[in-house]
Amino acid sequence: MTTLEVRGLTKKFHRFQAVDDVSFTLTAGRTTALVGASGSGKSTIARMIARLVRPTSGEIVLTGPDGEPVPRRAYRDHVQMIFQDPFASLNPFHTVEHHLARPLRLHGRPRSEVPRLLEKVSLTADFAARRPHELSGGQRQRIAIARALAPGARVIIADEPVSMLDVSIRLGVLKLLARLQREENLSVLYITHDLATARHFSDEVLVMHQGRIVERGPSDDVLMRPQDPYTRRLAAAAPDPEARFRQGGQP
Amino acid sequence: MIRSGKLATGLGLAGLIVLFGLVGPLLTGDPATIRDVGLTPPGGEHLLGTTLTGQDVLAQLAHATRGSLWIGVLVGVMATVLSGVFGIVGAYAGGIVDEVFSLFSNVMLVIPGLPLVIVVAGFVPADQRGTWTIALVLAITGWAAAARVLRAQTLSLRNRDYVAAARVSGERTWRVICVEILPNLLPILASQFVFAVVLAILSEAGLSFLGLGAANSSTLGTMLYYAQNGFALQREAWWWFVPPGLVIALFGGALVLINFSIDEIINPRLRDRARRGRDVVAVEAEIAPVDDDAVLTVRNLNVVYQAATPVHAVKDVSLTLRRGEILGLAGESGCGKTTLAYAINRLHRPPAEVTSGSVVFHNGADVDVLALEPEELRQFRWAQLSMVFQGAMNSLNPVTPIRAQLQDVLRTHRPSMPAAQREERCAEVLRLVGVDPARLGSYPHELSGGMRQRVMIAMALLLDPQVMIMDEPTTALDVLVQREILNEISRLRDELRFAVIFITHDLPLLLELSDRIAVMRDGEVVEYATAEDVYLRPQHPYTRQLLASFPSLTGERGALIT
Repeated sequence: MTTLEVRGLTKKFHRFQAVDDVSFTLTAGRTTALVGASGSGKSTIARMIARLVRPTSGEIVLTGPDGEPVPRRAYRDHVQMIFQDPFASLNPFHTVEHHLARPLRLHGRPRSEVPRLLEKVSLTADFAARRPHELSGGQRQRIAIARALAPGARVIIADEPVSMLDVSIRLGVLKLLARLQREENLSVLYITHDLATARHFSDEVLVMHQGRIVERGPSDDVLMRPQDPYTRRLAAAAPDPEARFRQGGQP
Repeated sequence: MIRSGKLATGLGLAGLIVLFGLVGPLLTGDPATIRDVGLTPPGGEHLLGTTLTGQDVLAQLAHATRGSLWIGVLVGVMATVLSGVFGIVGAYAGGIVDEVFSLFSNVMLVIPGLPLVIVVAGFVPADQRGTWTIALVLAITGWAAAARVLRAQTLSLRNRDYVAAARVSGERTWRVICVEILPNLLPILASQFVFAVVLAILSEAGLSFLGLGAANSSTLGTMLYYAQNGFALQREAWWWFVPPGLVIALFGGALVLINFSIDEIINPRLRDRARRGRDVVAVEAEIAPVDDDAVLTVRNLNVVYQAATPVHAVKDVSLTLRRGEILGLAGESGCGKTTLAYAINRLHRPPAEVTSGSVVFHNGADVDVLALEPEELRQFRWAQLSMVFQGAMNSLNPVTPIRAQLQDVLRTHRPSMPAAQREERCAEVLRLVGVDPARLGSYPHELSGGMRQRVMIAMALLLDPQVMIMDEPTTALDVLVQREILNEISRLRDELRFAVIFITHDLPLLLELSDRIAVMRDGEVVEYATAEDVYLRPQHPYTRQLLASFPSLTGERGALIT
């Protein structure tokens, strides 16, 4: 079972402390939600785990199925990231095939797996020849998910994977992620500002505020019965039409 | 593939000249052959006449064209490679490499090109001054500006997510540059190459004309040099100097025309060009308003983008906005909600065109918004109907303080207002939206996103409008800040009794905030009812689909995972 442990992770940008002493563990088969307002340091954590940003201090330890730490070079076989903006995360000059075949090749897998990857994200094989501008936002994000799965990753960092998508297709993409997570026994870090989907799609929730984790626990506990004052404010701020029409009748 | 006339003309001209340079020398005789016919005008044996020494001008022109093109291509390739190495590699590597490369490019940039070329060319002895020397000198003095442009573009591309994604999947640096970044720079590289070629041909012609060009090679410049030395102008031997000059001018012009269209060739997404429509509106006869309390009536409004394939963005939309009402306009991207808002305020620009329908503003008398003359429209906007734009918090001018931006609105619309009163009004609207009037002297960057958004709302309130259109005013804000702004809007509406059209994709937000909601899809209003009805008794399947897209924070957990 692959486990990713984050210990005392800290990142300073000049004098600004973006992430302050954050620790958590991602285990296989579980989704952990990282919630917080913009600027709270969520994306910086994602980028540190994806090795795009170097931590100021602290460590990220990846333990493979054999119980041994995964060597640095093999890290990217195991940990992959899904970016927020599907319109920016695919190169407009390359086909879908290129976006999937490259990571396959870099991690020693045959190009012939492209159709299977597309099928995994509920797309047909004929998408391989298309270019990003011919795809809808939802289709692009499915390609981005397939790209993350291509190296055979066990840990997926999903940084606001649906916030740039149209509302009516968001749930579909989240359901797809949840299904893949179950089928492949992945560990997923779901980064979001949306408390409702965090609650519905994750087992555990971490609430971030100004670079620190202010509250953590099983998602129902944290979001239904928040203890920390910041979490309470966050939960109360979400629009809640039910409260307005509660007297009106059925939910 | 070739759609624009510019491109076709450019390619045609350049193609002909290149062909002439390639094939011409094979068909014409030896340009150096001296005949004792002296200067002969065009005609007969010599199509373009002969020079003073009886050399055939056509043969000379063919060889000279080939020589000039050769120099142009050499310089183009060298300058592009140099600018690519210094611009792209430096910017991608960052840190000290970037500092050094960029310092070097800047130094090269401030060295005045032509004088240096003249000095260098003059310094190298004439017999060693071959084509390559000249090309090298021109390339070295000509790449720096292009490198700066490439650097800026690479800096922006370097931070794109797809580059990060390639790094996460484990791509090596050189592959990221060559495969992910370089193709996106192609339009710039291509146009810089073309530009470098033009510049090289012109500079070489200039140098040769001064007698500093490549020895033992013939170019259009050397032709002009000999023509000048042979007093072609004084002898009225136009056939000697007009052809080379004309070839230079035509080739330069052709390449510039190609340059205009390069992005269009390389970037397939830009090929579909919109046709400029007329900014004339067709207004249908107005039926008397039904609602006494209405402040704005939109009837059967149609807006069409007159592109190659016209897009019907707003289809037959009818809405009534009552005094003090918050009307929510819900829909996803591309459903036409922003187009509708712009058309109501007549802010739409060609190719968008209101093809039919009416927008009537009721303020004592009825005002037909679509029929207002430009000056009337200017006075009507903002005073009666103001707007808070999408991403408004970034639409404040960063270099002037808040005070100046607020006062500008008053100065435009109430020119007679005394300065003290203006200042007082600005402070008053800031207080209304919960911003300390002491902030009037602040610059936008000194305020948080939420505060900038409040300032934008204050600006929309300045002239006491009857109607305010807000296009996704809270989408870019945090939930906590969004909550504050929403509370503020509700409060102001209750106090000042203006009506609001609130546009957003966030249906739960509208359900909580608005009195009535119009749900738009593909340019049509598919459902138009009170917030309560939309929430409890949605009629249209699309409304139900939208409602189901927002899981409730408090609902049963796990119901969504199937």
